[in-house]
Amino acid sequence: MTSKRALEAAGMLAVAGALYFAPSFLERGTLNDLWSVALAVVLASSWNLLGGFAGQVSIGYSAFLGIGAYTTVLLALSGTPPVLTLPLGALLAGGFSVIIGYPTFRLRGPYFTIATIGVGEAVRVVASSLSFAGGASGLRMPAGSYDFESNFRSMTLLAVALVWIALAISRSAFGSALSAVRQDIDAAEALGVNSTRLKVTVHALSAALVGLAGGLFAINFQYVSPGSVFDFRLSLTIVLMPIVGGVGTVAGPVLGAILFGWLQLKLLSIPALLSSSLLIYGALLIAVMLFEPKGLLGLVRRLWARRLRRFYIDA
Amino acid sequence: MPEPVVSVRALTVRFGGLVAVKGVSFDVAPGEIFGVIGPNGAGKTTLFSCLAGAQRPTSGSIHLRGESLDGLAVWAVAHRGLVRTHQIVRPFREMTVADNVAIGARFGRGRRRGADEKGRVRDILARTGLGARAGSLAGTLTLGELKRLEIARALATEPDVLCLDEIMGGLNPAEINAAMVLVRELRDSGLTILLIEHHVHAVVGVSDRILVLNFGEKIAEGRPEEVLRDPAVVAAYFGDAPEEAAL
Amino acid sequence: MQQALDVVVNSFLAAGLYATMAYGLAVIYGVMRIINLAHAGIMMLGAYTTFTLFTHFSIDPFLSIVVVVPLFFAGGVALYRTVVRRLPRSGSTPSMESLLLLFGVWLVLQNLAYVLWSGDTQSILTSYTLKSVSLLGVRVGVPSLGVFGMSALSLLVLEFVLHRTYLGKAIRAVTQNRDAALLSGVDADRISAVAFGVGTAFAGLAGTLLSTLFAFTPDFGRSFLLKAFCIIVLGGLESVTGVAAGAFVLALLENVTAAYTAVPTSLQDALSFTLLVVTLVVLPQGLPGLFRLVHVRRRG
Repeated sequence: MTSKRALEAAGMLAVAGALYFAPSFLERGTLNDLWSVALAVVLASSWNLLGGFAGQVSIGYSAFLGIGAYTTVLLALSGTPPVLTLPLGALLAGGFSVIIGYPTFRLRGPYFTIATIGVGEAVRVVASSLSFAGGASGLRMPAGSYDFESNFRSMTLLAVALVWIALAISRSAFGSALSAVRQDIDAAEALGVNSTRLKVTVHALSAALVGLAGGLFAINFQYVSPGSVFDFRLSLTIVLMPIVGGVGTVAGPVLGAILFGWLQLKLLSIPALLSSSLLIYGALLIAVMLFEPKGLLGLVRRLWARRLRRFYIDA
Repeated sequence: MPEPVVSVRALTVRFGGLVAVKGVSFDVAPGEIFGVIGPNGAGKTTLFSCLAGAQRPTSGSIHLRGESLDGLAVWAVAHRGLVRTHQIVRPFREMTVADNVAIGARFGRGRRRGADEKGRVRDILARTGLGARAGSLAGTLTLGELKRLEIARALATEPDVLCLDEIMGGLNPAEINAAMVLVRELRDSGLTILLIEHHVHAVVGVSDRILVLNFGEKIAEGRPEEVLRDPAVVAAYFGDAPEEAAL
Repeated sequence: MQQALDVVVNSFLAAGLYATMAYGLAVIYGVMRIINLAHAGIMMLGAYTTFTLFTHFSIDPFLSIVVVVPLFFAGGVALYRTVVRRLPRSGSTPSMESLLLLFGVWLVLQNLAYVLWSGDTQSILTSYTLKSVSLLGVRVGVPSLGVFGMSALSLLVLEFVLHRTYLGKAIRAVTQNRDAALLSGVDADRISAVAFGVGTAFAGLAGTLLSTLFAFTPDFGRSFLLKAFCIIVLGGLESVTGVAAGAFVLALLENVTAAYTAVPTSLQDALSFTLLVVTLVVLPQGLPGLFRLVHVRRRG
């Protein structure tokens, strides 16, 4: 193992360890904030596997979060323990992604994106009208199923795991195929890459991880409703975080998640700004698209390269 | 002819009212260098697209070593052993030259992994003269290098049949000669080669047999010397006055 | 029988509105290959502008069209010149950057609406809002008739402009074959600006018309946007008639399912989304593609 890899592994273990023991040191408010950021990291990084690595932009990811959340609640209500409900939620989310994946992946670029918007909305509408799922008012978790510390540890561990997964994929043959498909799908296919199977696979993995997060989400809030988990604006935020942070990289989604986590908290604490949240998100998106499509990470790298160049030229 | 490796029968491709390829039939013998020429718009690239599986023919059949390629996806055709290069190069610009070739090695028919894969990539880069550029980003290559990269990637999939689409377009005479040498070397290593080319003298110099297309139809097929003397071919390229074609 | 007539008449009326809604999206996509997600926000803004004109200046919504259309045309051109034009062009393929950028614009517009008009649901009640007349034995609301009339008129004007003026022909040319049009001397920038203006104006007009029929909030527009996508995918980009045909098919589907099946109205949105996805996958060239296929096959 090279020293860089060893350093990375050590770093991740250190972070994981710190987060594991955090409940003993930090107060509840801070832990809640950390939990939110961890959730954001999970969502942003998972989306990035399909949207960044493979280049297929889906604005319908809230569907997977919701499926994971609802599955967990429904199964919990029928007496299933969380150790089973969480994986089943992930499985269902992944399965659903495969079902919609095969038809929608026949579409390219923005057409695929529009189809995902449609699917996301359709899922929300359907969920709101299912009476066994509580309809528009949602469902409550059964009493007594809640332990904040273990939920905190699960979510933060999932976030660290996701960074590790993203790193591993980006360095693997699988990851190189995703990159090839993103850059030129026809050329990749001409060299033997089964692009459909690839897209469906990464989509399923990504959706399952989001579904898992959905289950943890449901347990944490003890309540789900179509408005809270199938929200279009949630799908939008899931897309914005990695794009603003740096789409297609490993660190980008994490940066974006932290930025948005921070933004959310700031906005919630200053009532005047809360009403401008859409404006801020919209302006950020516009700015990134116009000036730095590679996001925050791209900007940092560009400025760093410029500073290095100036250093070498001046010296 | 021994058992043909590629066998095309009555291939027709219609785009709405336009007929790009009309009832074309031909066979390619194993180990042959088979040239495809014709004026612009004759249907050559469409033909190649059909062979590679990127274009569904309206009717007709294509067989590779006796097995039909009907309905196969592009990657499936590549796994059966037929790959093509693109007329307008399509490198993965954000990857290095070596990584570009590695895609072919990993996901093509050879499905190489690990040290095996690295060795194969190194080999191919050497054969196509790209060894020095292995670590460079594909986006920084010259046109000549990019054309060689197209070939290198296709080679990495370990095909039996290689379809080269205008690999000499835009090259200077020295590069063209080098390309002709490469094509012969590839054939000598066991591949069957089909090539589309506009440089008629280059194609003639390198091909065993030639197919001539015009307006989607086959107007001649055979050894280069015979084909070039065919009045129909001369008419297609130079118009109806054979006296003007002072070859 | 009466129910069937009901369905057909209502479908016609709805189709007019839908076509107007869809055309705004179609012209921008056709000329610039840009998917204008801000379309929903612009429709919403059109509705609110009409609302303000009605509540503050007592201008009848149908009359306010005279103000809304030029205003929104100018706004569209301005939006193009300030923001859209700066995007890196990816040639003739639709780009993700423009999609996401206009998404951002939509968010900004929503926020603007929240600030200016609050998030309360608003609606426009005129003297004739609740009146209805009998058309071919079917009861239709007066606003619906007005909406259909205005839609039909606007589409006729559009058809005239597209076929009888230079600008219109240039727009059709760029839509069909951008490179050829540019080679023929069409000023791409000017046509793009005009197309964006026209698209925005149509969106504003659609918003005005919608405001006479529905209540609205700043979040308004999303389901209509998806319907609009569905229509241009069904109807193709080539002509106003194509869009009208697509609009009619969608409207018919909605009214038929409402009348003859037990599918609740809340699920109807899911229906149009499913239709969108199915169409995109099965008929990527829309109905015109289907017609062409049938035509060719018959010729043999």
